Amino acid sequence: MTVLVLQRYLAVGAILFVIGLIGFMTRRNLIVLFLSTELMFQGIAVNFIAFGRYHLGQAFFHGQAFVVFLLVIAAAEASLALGLVVLLFRRKNTLDADAWRELKG
Amino acid sequence: MEGLFAVRISYLIPLLPLIGAIVAGFLGARWLKEKSHWPIWIGVGLSAVLSFVLLFGMIGKWPGHAAAVPKPGEEVSLETRVLSTQLKAMAMSVNWYRWIEAGDFKVEAGALIDPLTAVMLCVVCGIGLLITIFAAGYMKGEKGYFRFFAYLGLFIFAMTVLVMANNFVLLYLGWEGVGLCSYLLIGFYFERPAAREAAKKAFLVNRIGDFGFGLGIMLIFVIFGTVSFFGDGAGTNSGVLELAIPGGNFLGALEPWKRQAIPWIPFLLMLGAFGKSAQFPLYVWLPDAMEGPTPVSALIHAATMVTAGVYMIVRCGTLFVPNSGAMFTIATIGTFTAIFAAVIALRQFDLKKVFAYSTISQLGFMFAAVGLWSPVPGIFHLVTHAFFKALLFLSSGVVMHAMLGHLDMRKMSGLRKVLPKTHLLMLGGCLALAGVPIFAGFWSKDEILVSAWVYNKGIFLVLLFTAFLTAYYTFRLYFRVFQGPVMVPTEAAEGHAHGHDEEHGHEPVDEHLQGQAHAAAEHSHEPAIMIWPLVVLAVGAALAGFLNWPEREKSLGGFLGESPSLILAHLATDARYNARFVLPVPFGAEEMELKAVRDQMHSVHVVVAVLSILAAGLGIYSAYSLHLKNRSRGEELVARYPGLTRALEAKFWVDEVYQAAVVEPLRGLGRLFYAIDRYVVDGIVWMVGFVPQLFGFTLKLSTQRGSLQGYAVTMLLAVVVILLVLFL
Amino acid sequence: MLSLPSTFSLLAASVLSPVTILILCVVAGVGTVLLLPGKREATIRWIGGVILLAALLIFIALIVREGAGQRGEGVYFWLFSGIAVISAIRVVSHAKPVYSALYFVLTVLAVAGLFVLLWAEFMAAALILIYAGAILVTYVFVIMLASQAHSGASGQAAEGAEYDRVSREPVLATAVGFALMGVLLFVIFEKSEGMVRAGAALAADAVMEGGAVRALGAYLFSDQLLTLELAGVLLTVSMVGAVIIARRYVAEGAGEARPEVIVSPATPLDDDPHSIPVYGTRNPVAKAYPEN
Repeated sequence: MTVLVLQRYLAVGAILFVIGLIGFMTRRNLIVLFLSTELMFQGIAVNFIAFGRYHLGQAFFHGQAFVVFLLVIAAAEASLALGLVVLLFRRKNTLDADAWRELKG
Repeated sequence: MEGLFAVRISYLIPLLPLIGAIVAGFLGARWLKEKSHWPIWIGVGLSAVLSFVLLFGMIGKWPGHAAAVPKPGEEVSLETRVLSTQLKAMAMSVNWYRWIEAGDFKVEAGALIDPLTAVMLCVVCGIGLLITIFAAGYMKGEKGYFRFFAYLGLFIFAMTVLVMANNFVLLYLGWEGVGLCSYLLIGFYFERPAAREAAKKAFLVNRIGDFGFGLGIMLIFVIFGTVSFFGDGAGTNSGVLELAIPGGNFLGALEPWKRQAIPWIPFLLMLGAFGKSAQFPLYVWLPDAMEGPTPVSALIHAATMVTAGVYMIVRCGTLFVPNSGAMFTIATIGTFTAIFAAVIALRQFDLKKVFAYSTISQLGFMFAAVGLWSPVPGIFHLVTHAFFKALLFLSSGVVMHAMLGHLDMRKMSGLRKVLPKTHLLMLGGCLALAGVPIFAGFWSKDEILVSAWVYNKGIFLVLLFTAFLTAYYTFRLYFRVFQGPVMVPTEAAEGHAHGHDEEHGHEPVDEHLQGQAHAAAEHSHEPAIMIWPLVVLAVGAALAGFLNWPEREKSLGGFLGESPSLILAHLATDARYNARFVLPVPFGAEEMELKAVRDQMHSVHVVVAVLSILAAGLGIYSAYSLHLKNRSRGEELVARYPGLTRALEAKFWVDEVYQAAVVEPLRGLGRLFYAIDRYVVDGIVWMVGFVPQLFGFTLKLSTQRGSLQGYAVTMLLAVVVILLVLFL
Repeated sequence: MLSLPSTFSLLAASVLSPVTILILCVVAGVGTVLLLPGKREATIRWIGGVILLAALLIFIALIVREGAGQRGEGVYFWLFSGIAVISAIRVVSHAKPVYSALYFVLTVLAVAGLFVLLWAEFMAAALILIYAGAILVTYVFVIMLASQAHSGASGQAAEGAEYDRVSREPVLATAVGFALMGVLLFVIFEKSEGMVRAGAALAADAVMEGGAVRALGAYLFSDQLLTLELAGVLLTVSMVGAVIIARRYVAEGAGEARPEVIVSPATPLDDDPHSIPVYGTRNPVAKAYPEN
């Protein structure tokens, strides 16, 4: 038994997730920040679908159902987050996330 | 004794002033205001009435010169039973309730009612009542009127507790209570730095003495296992003063170290007495205490509180008398204080300062008396001194009231015409203080001089010279202030210095007083409320000497002689110095009964009286010639001895010596401790606190930056760590 | 299959050992740090990209070698996953948000391809519709709006804003990120005993009959009905929220010439800096205690 097909997909999902994470942590543009979270969603979605395909067997659709809801969340998040980003941009006239540092306690 | 109604309600004597103080203190500010003196008047007045009822009740029960008093040389059994029956004759201990009970340590709150207590109570409450009445006039319109009277009531409470206590702990309570009130009242004008400093000084100096006193009481408990003065009279248990008589069974059975520790007790107690009664090393607070209102100076710092040391030594006579070293120390210190303070008083210009040093000097007389174990002259002088010194202080208070706060005798002269009533009263007080015959001071001082003559001629000579100095400085003041050309300190020269004691800023409060002060050109206002108590005091100062008229059936000395303290101390003395005990005047009894002694004492009395009259006359004459007849000569005399003058004006630099020898080293030590505390101890503590603080600060700087992504990094780091822990 | 765990672990240990994964992660991390936008020259960023690509290729090669003889999706898997990963890297590392968004579209498309390989055709279509069609359009709109307003406001050059050109704490973030990746890959390749299910092959027959989309629909609308309704509610709620946010934004945007209350500088009462400032008068006391 060597590397399973599932493991390849999982690896791809993990890599996508971590790249999104790195983007989230390093980039300062609020929009790119949210794009990075969408990337993380992508990695997770790959994970779910791959698990559904290769792991769950009988419950083939569980993974896909997860992804459906994940898309729902992503859509909701995108709409609200972008609205907020625009609000923030209006307030400070910049998309820099560091501009909101004074919100620390 | 038991049958006396006054004894049964004796607890009211301290309680009533306390209630008055509470009422005045808590209701005074809001409701009573200008009527705050009423609770104190009522409380102290009732206490005074009770005290006199008690005194006269006891005198009524007193059979005269009691047969119970043992004859000199007579074999005296020291069995407690015998003593108890003797002691029960004129004394009883009333326990109100069990105050403290901790193992073997039992303290009753209770009174010892005996002649000594009764006399002291009458002095405290009687003089206290007169002075509270005076104070109502004197303090009128002051800012802290109610506060003043609350303190006064509290003081009377503490002082009565002190003189009534039947054990050392309660005595100590009263002792500290009067110290506290003294502190509060000296610092009554706490807005003034001088008053604050004086109050602090009085408190701290007393602390030195009270520390010794407290140690003494602890030692007493350790050695005797009780703190009561006397047993309950039933013979089942004994008090300290009974057990301490040399030759008794108790002392013989003591462990060696305890027996060796006993001689220390009087020295420790003595320290407390020196502090409270302003004797030589610890007297420095009393002159400064004159920063307090004048009634306070009269009541606390002349008549009552400062005599607590004398009372305590007389009360604890049995502890002192067997210790000849302690007695000699007391006598020597007292004598030295007497002449030392009298010399300083020669060159003081502030009326109250003169009387303060005079008080110290007179207290020295009393200490010399009790140090020579002549308790009756000591207490007798205490009583007469209370009268005439209170009179003198209050008279100078009237002068101050009239002179708008001025007390410098260089600025006033010939007040006889301005303040005629006060002049007469002051003259009475001065005559009493100077020791002019008929007046009270003469008799009591004379008896002290007689004791000194009998015991120690050296002390006698010093005291006689002090009597001369006393007469001189008293009449120097009198001639300067009341005789000669009229000179009144002008308001203009002093820039509208107002009020009596100081700038207490009452002009908007009491326009009546102010208007009165300004209206009369000669500032002659001697309100009746301030004059009548003085008249009573003056009568006392004139006639109190006859209380102890030696030839009388019932004299003060004989009455005091019934006090168990004096009886037991007499026995202790007897056991120790049987051979050379001459019995001058501790009891009137011996003099009355033993003709040889009486004759001997009579001749001594005559000689001493002549000498002291001479001394007083000489003093008055020198004062007259230097300060009335030819005032410039007085100044020449001063100019001729500049060094001495400077030493006197600097009060022999005692305060400076204290500053250099005690205060500064202590302050240096304090600074050292402060530095250690600040830099070593605090440093360690600070380090302990600083490490986590630094850690937290670093964490805050590195993690809490307000950047959402930074938080994500931190969170992710934790996730990684958790995953590693889970899967590795 | 379960009889060969020792061989599996032996082989795995030989090639895809934790050490290998660690080294690869470190190399890829260095590459990512260099590649991320910063105040570096373009060549250095290129070098970073090359390092990252090399690490990726080595990783692929290792997996390929490991899985030699394994039946798989073959070249399509490598193609789609390669495109997905590389374009994801570009999303993160590109200095211009618009390009990031476009690369993100590429990632979405590649992931959709992976979904197809995993027999999830419906999900692939949904992904493209929702992400590439709806979400990404919104993103691009916002990017355009913001960057236009921004460049108009501050007169920035075509380089883009400073916050786009300089990333924050790239080293720390990359280190943490690749630490996570190392842990994840380690878990995937080393601790995967429980992943293998005997029933995995059965799925093909069960799924294929009647079509995968129909089966998914039946599943969603029978077993997951409540969840689906809740998802609908969630979408509605978020829509309402977005509308409210947008309304405020519109109101504020319209109020560019909002009525000015301040006619003079805010004056503290009695020179007390903590007092409530009073606007509209030079005499704050008069304003503070109005007559009426």
